[in-house]
Amino acid sequence: MGSDEEDFVFHGTPIEREDEIGSRKKKAVALASGNLKTLPAWKQEVTDEEGRRRFHGAFTGGYSAGYYNTVGSKEGWAPQAFTSSRKNRAGARKQSISDFLDEDEKAELEGQSLSASAQFDTFGFTAAEQSRKQAEKEQHERPSAIPGPVPDEFISPVSESIGVKLLLKMGWRRGHSIKDVRASSDARREARKAFLAFSADDNTKESSDSLSATGGETSLDPQSSEDIKFSESTPVYVLNPKQDLHGLGFDPFKHAPEFREQKRSRLSASKQVGFRKPLSMKESLFGPKSGKIAPGFGIGALEELDVEDEDVYAGYDFDQTYVIEDEQPARPSNENRLRLTSKEHNVLPGFGAASNSDFSVERFDPPKIPKDFVARHKFSGPLEAETKPNVSAPLDVPPPEDNNLKLLIDGFATFVSRCGKLYEDLSREKNQSNQMFDFLRGGNGHDYYVRRLWEEQQKRSDQSKLLFEVKASPSAQKMTAESRGSLLGESPLQRSLKEADTSASSGGSFQFPTNLSDTFTKSASSQEAAEAVKPFKDEPAKQERFEQFLKEKYKGGLRTTDSNRVNSMSESSRAQERLDFEAAAEAIEKGKAYKEVRRATEKPIDFLAGGLQFTSGGTEQIKDTGVVDTKSSTTYPKREEFQWRPASLLCKRFDLPDPFMGKPPSAPRARNKMDSLIFLPDMKDARQVSESQEPKKEASMEEPEVDVEVENVERPVDLYKAIFSDDSEDDEEQPMNGKVQESQEKKNEAAATALNRLIAGDFLESLGKELGFEVPADVTYPEVTKPMEEGNKSKGKPEASFEKRPELKEKPEEKTSSITLRYEEEKSRKEREKSPRKRSDRNNDLSSSESSGDERRRKRSKKDRHRNNDSESDSSSDYHNRDKQSSRSRRKRRESSREKRSSHKKHSKHHKSKHSSSSRYSPDDEQKKSKREKQRRRD
Amino acid sequence: MSATELPTKEAHVLKGHEGAVLAARFNGDGNYALTCGKDRTIRLWNPHRGILIKTYKSHGREVRDVHVTSDNAKFCSCGGDRQVYYWDVSTGRVIRKFRGHDGEVNAVKFSDSSAVVVSAGFDRSLRVWDCRSHSVEPVQIIDTFLDTVMSVVLTKTEIIGGSVDGTVRTFDMRIGREMSDNLGQPVNCISISNDGNCVLAGCLDSTLRLLDRTTGELLQVYKGHISKSFKTDCCLTNSDAHVIGGSEDGLVFFWDLVDAKVVSKFRAHDLVVTSVSYHPKEDCMLTSSVDGTVRVWKK
Repeated sequence: MGSDEEDFVFHGTPIEREDEIGSRKKKAVALASGNLKTLPAWKQEVTDEEGRRRFHGAFTGGYSAGYYNTVGSKEGWAPQAFTSSRKNRAGARKQSISDFLDEDEKAELEGQSLSASAQFDTFGFTAAEQSRKQAEKEQHERPSAIPGPVPDEFISPVSESIGVKLLLKMGWRRGHSIKDVRASSDARREARKAFLAFSADDNTKESSDSLSATGGETSLDPQSSEDIKFSESTPVYVLNPKQDLHGLGFDPFKHAPEFREQKRSRLSASKQVGFRKPLSMKESLFGPKSGKIAPGFGIGALEELDVEDEDVYAGYDFDQTYVIEDEQPARPSNENRLRLTSKEHNVLPGFGAASNSDFSVERFDPPKIPKDFVARHKFSGPLEAETKPNVSAPLDVPPPEDNNLKLLIDGFATFVSRCGKLYEDLSREKNQSNQMFDFLRGGNGHDYYVRRLWEEQQKRSDQSKLLFEVKASPSAQKMTAESRGSLLGESPLQRSLKEADTSASSGGSFQFPTNLSDTFTKSASSQEAAEAVKPFKDEPAKQERFEQFLKEKYKGGLRTTDSNRVNSMSESSRAQERLDFEAAAEAIEKGKAYKEVRRATEKPIDFLAGGLQFTSGGTEQIKDTGVVDTKSSTTYPKREEFQWRPASLLCKRFDLPDPFMGKPPSAPRARNKMDSLIFLPDMKDARQVSESQEPKKEASMEEPEVDVEVENVERPVDLYKAIFSDDSEDDEEQPMNGKVQESQEKKNEAAATALNRLIAGDFLESLGKELGFEVPADVTYPEVTKPMEEGNKSKGKPEASFEKRPELKEKPEEKTSSITLRYEEEKSRKEREKSPRKRSDRNNDLSSSESSGDERRRKRSKKDRHRNNDSESDSSSDYHNRDKQSSRSRRKRRESSREKRSSHKKHSKHHKSKHSSSSRYSPDDEQKKSKREKQRRRD
Repeated sequence: MSATELPTKEAHVLKGHEGAVLAARFNGDGNYALTCGKDRTIRLWNPHRGILIKTYKSHGREVRDVHVTSDNAKFCSCGGDRQVYYWDVSTGRVIRKFRGHDGEVNAVKFSDSSAVVVSAGFDRSLRVWDCRSHSVEPVQIIDTFLDTVMSVVLTKTEIIGGSVDGTVRTFDMRIGREMSDNLGQPVNCISISNDGNCVLAGCLDSTLRLLDRTTGELLQVYKGHISKSFKTDCCLTNSDAHVIGGSEDGLVFFWDLVDAKVVSKFRAHDLVVTSVSYHPKEDCMLTSSVDGTVRVWKK
């Protein structure tokens, strides 16, 4: 603020008012500066109304001109037939100007002919027409008291008033003003005479005098100016024509003059626009859009109304401020509304809607619903039948002496109470002959059984009642164990098993109850453990549910109705909770720490991503997918990475090195038809594979190995071995350089370095393609060296993930060559470091075995790596570090874009995203930490 | 910085725009402000004294965004006429017009060195225009967005765009990568924290989301305001302690950056607050609104 006070001295108000610049001036300025036309003049084309080019240059003409620009038909001008014989002479032809005019010229001529606008032509012919039309419209608009068109036909609106008739008689002609200059003075005198004759009856001399005086005054004026003449020749009330349908003298705005002003401005505004435009435009202008134009500034005459002109901001309160008028003035826009209203009324013209009709629809009363009807279907499950209040409590009978029998009865009663009466009937039938089950048939221990059964049922009904009170949705409550079991896809095996048990128990070794508990409940230890751990401590309700879940889980088998508890939770959240519970239970079982459970519940997606399946039931799986859906919606933000190639100029403008410098454009181009043919099927395959891989990538970030494997399988390393890695380094470089040299000889030194690299890479590819192979994405050499570096480097994460790859695909024979290779590199690197100048020299030496693009790149990347290590130890600046890394990743990308070429698009993407991100983010970790610290400090 | 130190007292009302003001921006040092609006003008103000200095007219339709170079010599603007204008501040002349967008241009920003202008358009693209050469062709067109790009932010090395397709896309020029953070909700406005680590995205579900730029994780969510159908701005204070967001009911909200509590909210305008801009150094704020006023707020 201080600085601008020094810079500026304020005198008065520095605002120049932009309003003063008139629109005309503005336009002129715009025209001068060429703003009006978007194209320079020589680029603009003149077209006729059908959009055809009108003029053709002398040199360009002819190609489409044809006859269209000259005559209207293919035959061209047809000479007029002229026949004249002695018997019938041809008369002298009259020619009019219209014979020589084109259609458009005629239209223009018509447009030029002046005619009074309807508004002011009160005395003209158009007025009659107008009023008639208007009357018609009005009649459509509101049904008159007397229905039918008859009176309207009889009564045609009067267009010629008696005054007009009088004036006509007095010698006034239509189209002339009353006080016309050309109107003869004697006509005027006659008029005055006639007037005097009228007024003479009233004996009001004075008034006539005064009138004649004013008449005399005005008669002098007309010549002075056109405007005055006009205003005098037309009565005042015509200037303010009555356009509404209110009664005469009725003023709707009597007590609200501000609305009158508003209405008038609206009317005039719309009229102005309407007059400026041709009539066809009017409707669109008066359409619904027009109200949405931003107030205060209209659009120019040359612009068309567009969607953008709608005022989204002020549109809503713009309309509301108007008073709702029941009758709109008859304007052309009314036609739209008219159609609407007539549709609304749905009354044919000439017919009125009857106020009451004889026609009545016969209506039937709806069926009566019994009072006790509950609009919900009840399943008559066997359990339900039993859980109905069993009022009469059987006597409390002491248990039978036989302990086995007592246990059997206890267990059986529990079971029956749980499974329903059906089970009792079934087993009674089955064990018809079995005397162990006599208690079912009223034998030994029957009373005890009945008592036990009652107790059990009582217990259960209490439970369910409790639940019923707590939870809503009784329909789910009504679900029996059987139905639930079938829903969950549980086979009814268990029951037959039990029956087998019971039948087996007849054989003497009776262990039914213990069997039950054995098969359905696990050792209580895990339950206890869970209770001790309490993974959901912070949410008591959830913890409760979890415990219940555990109980059910370890009781197993047929779930109780309670297990299908329904409360306020939604289906998906319940499913998710179930998953959490499963995970937690599993974790507890495995003796995992509480922390892990917490984490598991916090990030349930991890479980899913791992592809773990907790449950095997059919419904459970369905639930799983639901969970995935809800989770995917909650896992925003999602991050994805793509390759993006900044333009080199962009990088230049940002003062950044182009990461893609010296690389061919990323889009793979087929150089000839053969290439595309060869590559077509591969591309397809790759795409399919990649598509199948894609979702996996999103879901789980933890399985890079799988992808690597896939890629390795598809990479034809053999081709490269066959070509390059058979003998020695020199051999493998030789063919390239030979060819490169041929094509390179005339390049200058500066261009040579970049081009060299490029061409070498391209050559490799094209060679592979010509042989009909895919070009492997990664030339293996650069990576081969890496595992070795890893040994002495142990740089950590960013590299580790990347360098797994070469290890996998490396072959022993390759290793030997790679070692030599590496040795060579080491040497060259040292040399280069000694004398950097030498490097450039050597680059130009194309025959040298080391100067191939690939080789050099390898070296450079090596150097980068090396330096990077140094810089880390030096703890140089962060930016520097990043820059280095970016150059490294640049190399990687170069490789990977080659991968792309070999149609492993998505795979390469995998790798790229992985290592580029790792390489990129490592320096950022520090930043993040510092930021977090900052936040903490703020806390 | 406590809530009392927030700029909640009205210092000046800058009146002059007819119709809605669509953007209000401080210049690099915060001494001046540029506003633009529906009336097709761009106005230069001294917000600290409440004086209109200059009016720039050339746009054919409403002006939606404006940005000044760091040396205050030039500025760029964009709007409904599908063009990006490159202006000279002192003479008020248009130096260059960049045509090429197929739709309205929503936002415009200079690069750090003012060498290029990046514009975000209705045509689902970001376009980079060169100010140094005489070329009027875009240097680059980034058209990976799936829907209208609403907002653009530049760092020294990255271009960040927020789009209605729900993504915030970061284009890193150094490594040639595009990172797309899908938020699942249309992104109305993005703004970057002053330390450069976070990006604040105003979404059309009436939520501001704070993202960690390096990992893309959601750090915080700010709610309470209304942002559903208008282009409203959000920004961070110059200390990065608070998040500011304009609301469609005319309120301005201040949230604590860390715990996302509404620290302060007050009625700044009667109608939609279209833009908020925070002074780079002092505790001063600009708000613009559909009601045609720009207000300067100080503590």
